Amino acid sequence: MKLSEIVKALNLEVCCGNYEIDVQYGCVGDLLSEVMAHAKANSIWVTVQSHVNIVAVSVITGIRAIVLCNAHSFSSETIEKAKAEGICLLRSDKSPFEIVGRLYGMGIEP
Amino acid sequence: MEKVLDRVQSFFLDMPVVEVMNPNVISVHPDRTLRQVKEILRIKRISGVPVVDHERKIVGIVSIEDIIKALEGGYIDGKVQDHMTKDVVCLKTSDTLKEVIETFEKYSYGRFPVVDENKKVVGIVTKNDVMMALLAKLGLVYLHDERRKEVLESPEYFGRSLITGERLDKTGADFFFPIDYYDINLAGVGASKLRQFLLSKGVDPETARRVAIATYEAETNVVIHSGSTGAIYCFIKPDSIFVRVEDTGKGIDNVELAMKEGYSTAPDYVRELGFGAGMGFTNMKRCSDNLMVVSKVGAGVVVEMEFRRSKEGSK
Repeated sequence: MKLSEIVKALNLEVCCGNYEIDVQYGCVGDLLSEVMAHAKANSIWVTVQSHVNIVAVSVITGIRAIVLCNAHSFSSETIEKAKAEGICLLRSDKSPFEIVGRLYGMGIEP
Repeated sequence: MEKVLDRVQSFFLDMPVVEVMNPNVISVHPDRTLRQVKEILRIKRISGVPVVDHERKIVGIVSIEDIIKALEGGYIDGKVQDHMTKDVVCLKTSDTLKEVIETFEKYSYGRFPVVDENKKVVGIVTKNDVMMALLAKLGLVYLHDERRKEVLESPEYFGRSLITGERLDKTGADFFFPIDYYDINLAGVGASKLRQFLLSKGVDPETARRVAIATYEAETNVVIHSGSTGAIYCFIKPDSIFVRVEDTGKGIDNVELAMKEGYSTAPDYVRELGFGAGMGFTNMKRCSDNLMVVSKVGAGVVVEMEFRRSKEGSK
């Protein structure tokens, strides 16, 4: 599924990165190790974790986009890092539960 | 063991005598009286003095034993030259500690003057001097060893592979990354670099991913827990990838407990950052085909992982 469709449907704020890409799977979680253990490549990651290390975790696991929920914001450091690594950072004031539910409904695979 | 003894022996026994001797020699002239010598011995708290001429050449020696005999014999006011031991056993400046010890074993004297080729006295050696010299030298050895303690005391940790038992030539590693930072924000830099490196070397993405995840966990552990710096080594083999992450920090008290899923000793601030879920070792185990962890409190941690290279990306 095109990430741009998701951005539009869920009204996500694009903080950085290219969203004209495809994502197939989804994951949710705030513990980096947990996400690393379970995330698949070509995933979109729903979280409230904004620490700069989310970028490293994404690069390593093949996550392509991160949705930061509950109106949290990314630090400029995180954004810089994501730009450098080509990870798309997105924001929403909705809860992770709602975002995940919508993504699942749109056909994003677990 | 014998080799070690040999090495230690040569280390000590080759010490030149000039390093052992006391160069500040208290000596007397032959025209002095034994009573004067007795006073010198008493005041200086020594047990004997060499007798030298005006050129400081050795002509005899007087010990406390000679003084006792003089007191008993009633000739304490006699001249040194009439009662001294004239046949003096001396050490040469070219001698080593080996000769010193042999000389002490051979003769029962308490001190030996050290003379140069002209028979001039340049020093004196007592058993106390030998002891002090050895202690000083031991101190040097000790310092030397302290610096290389990890290497010497834990050859299994740092010299050999835990998994294969092979001697590791770390300088021959295909990838090396020093974990020389303490900033948790940087955690994972090494693992990310390793992943890129593996991909550039044609390693399949799935294997590279597993290696990177496991290495990330090991690297993060070094940054969060070790309190020291560390290093990542990676060897690319035809069938497998071999990664070793080591540090010289605090070490793990109970490796078995640390390996348990959910067990964490991470401080709160670290947990707030999304780390410290007690998943580190679990992830390493899950991602690798072979995992070995060795640690001792105060002696750092060594993690070794082997990843079989798979075309179809199993696991």
